[in-house]
Amino acid sequence: MALRILILGGTGFIGPHQVQYALSRGHQVTLFNRGRTNPGLFRNVETLIGDRNAPNGYAALKGRTWDVVIDNPVQVPRWVREAGAVLAPNVGKYVFVSTLSTYANRGKIGITETDTDLLNAPAAPDATERDASYGARKVRGEMDAVATFGESKTLIVRPGLIVGPGDLTDRFSYWPIRVEQGGEMLAPGTPDDPVAFVDQRDLTEFMVRLCEQNATGIYNVVGPASGLTMAGMLYGCKAVTTADTRFTWVDADFLLERKLRPYADLPVWMPPRGNSAGWARMDVSKAVKAGLTFRPLAETARDTLTYYHAQPPERQAALKAGLPPDREKAVLAEWKARS
Amino acid sequence: MTLDRRTFLKTSAVVGGGLSLGLPALANAFGSDGVRLAAYRPETGSAQPKPLRILILGGTGFIGPYQVQYALDRKHQVTLFNRGQTNSNLFPGVPRLVGDRNAPDGHAALKSGSWDLVIDNPTTNPKWVRGAGEALKGRVGQYIFVSTISVFSDYSKPGMDENGPLHQPTDIDKPFDRAGQFYGPNKVRSEMEAVAQFGRDKVTIVRPGLIVGPGDLSDRFSYWPVRIDKGGEILAPGTPNDPVQYIDAHDLSEWIVRLGETRTTGTFNATGPKSPTTIAEMLYGIKSVTSSDAKFTWVPADFLAQHQVRAWSEMPVWQPGQGPTAGFMAIDCRKAYAAGLTCRPLADTAKATLDWYKTRPAAEQERARAGIAPEKEKAVLAAWHAKNG
Repeated sequence: MALRILILGGTGFIGPHQVQYALSRGHQVTLFNRGRTNPGLFRNVETLIGDRNAPNGYAALKGRTWDVVIDNPVQVPRWVREAGAVLAPNVGKYVFVSTLSTYANRGKIGITETDTDLLNAPAAPDATERDASYGARKVRGEMDAVATFGESKTLIVRPGLIVGPGDLTDRFSYWPIRVEQGGEMLAPGTPDDPVAFVDQRDLTEFMVRLCEQNATGIYNVVGPASGLTMAGMLYGCKAVTTADTRFTWVDADFLLERKLRPYADLPVWMPPRGNSAGWARMDVSKAVKAGLTFRPLAETARDTLTYYHAQPPERQAALKAGLPPDREKAVLAEWKARS
Repeated sequence: MTLDRRTFLKTSAVVGGGLSLGLPALANAFGSDGVRLAAYRPETGSAQPKPLRILILGGTGFIGPYQVQYALDRKHQVTLFNRGQTNSNLFPGVPRLVGDRNAPDGHAALKSGSWDLVIDNPTTNPKWVRGAGEALKGRVGQYIFVSTISVFSDYSKPGMDENGPLHQPTDIDKPFDRAGQFYGPNKVRSEMEAVAQFGRDKVTIVRPGLIVGPGDLSDRFSYWPVRIDKGGEILAPGTPNDPVQYIDAHDLSEWIVRLGETRTTGTFNATGPKSPTTIAEMLYGIKSVTSSDAKFTWVPADFLAQHQVRAWSEMPVWQPGQGPTAGFMAIDCRKAYAAGLTCRPLADTAKATLDWYKTRPAAEQERARAGIAPEKEKAVLAAWHAKNG
């Protein structure tokens, strides 16, 4: 059945594919955003304009009804309540894009959606980026979504690291980009360290299909379900290139002693121990059962590279994650010189 | 021969024009397996070459069709010479000379016409080289002989270049013996006969390693993508760092045609990838084109030997990275790379191979010619786990 879907945002990272996929499935899509990010991306899609930070910013949504509203860009919980004030009576379902960072304790392997004791304490209702963590704000956002729209109308997805073409954080992207540059390359930890992420297209397609199924509740969304290791990721990235890359695996403690930050300097990677032991091994069986699929890594890696190469040179030169070349070289030299 | 025309056309759609994956991949968009991989464009670079008159001996087996398609795409004039038995309906627009190289005067059809380039694909019998040489005498600009890295007699040293030790050649005047143990010695003699017939300044000898990709009926490389696609726990041989080498049939065939365009002579080891690659990189790289839940269990070479698991045939593309085979998968091919051999990304080879394999008749898919049998794999893994608690 064709749904009338309102997408809040829709022109950033995960939005465009969501829109395209929804259209390809015959749904009627309306966008609501400021009209500033990638204007003109969908000329044939109705776009309502509003600034969620402005007074009366939601005015354009008044008096309209939708089967589903997907709320992509929420950074502060206030936005959920404000959207609800206008939309709650007029929509059949509210889809909130949360995060796996809602889990404060990631020591357990196989965290499921029912592990509520592992969640962050919710941020204050009016928390901003300055006074609460991302995870705590998203916990509050989830609570407010249920409180505002009602449990029977709320669908919450908790993605892990979202990757693929269009990603502005460069966290996954660093790896195929670095691998493609070739030569000796620092690989963190051990080949068997687990990693997890979700291609933005797998995430957004799954979200649209969840709406079609009229699903509610909470879904961890990361992958692949069968598990991926650092070796699997790096060698998989190499497989889409013709680079002469050689991987030198450097011990986790050695890296931590040198203040190299997992997930930032060495993105995607997190030493699998302590409070992070389960970070890359979340249980996603609920989502898989509901239809989450994982495209092959080669596709994610190659499309990410294609996207990267289409960026202006100054953007390509300014990666936001990963080791700068000099630093990488220095750490490798130190690693080899160790006694 | 089982590569029927329909299958080949599917394959050939991915051969020419520098589009290796785009066509079949797009047809799959949002399809059941969802596997889409953007097109890889080979780095062939060079502008439109001067058209050559090319005679291809064979040309309808595994690597031949890739050569023919590529040569046609580059506007060369192609003539085939073969028995007319293998895939005889391929390339209906390409002139074909017929002859059986085992028959007396089997090369008679070659006694007229002249060619800039002759590519001899299917020859193991040195007498075939002699027959071709005598029939073509004086009317050939360049003769490319497809030999093999099996000409070498000692693989203990990694990094062996074209000057490595060769097998003792067989005697061309004795009856041809096709037994596997004489494959290398027959190819050594054939290389020598090529030089004797055509002259050193006209001969190019290409020594490929394991040739892989769509159309490979040996199933050696193909075993891995097929096995990995099935998922589950997979017996992975040796250590993750054991080296592997193979050459995609597209890359080999296209380069052979370019050797004619540049009129490059001499002897070339020709395998890949250009970047040294380990078995772990190969297996995980293959996995990356699937959505499989494959997990690899690495079992050391000596344990495999104790359990009668044969390297190369049951564990294809692999030989122990130590002892007499330490250099078997570490041949130095820098000379070929310098002469323009390129190697496409593993993901493209793996995906094309898997897609092709799935188009083969079910009975053929089940009769794989390489790779350990599923029950035996399971038993060896169980024994390995039992030993290691």
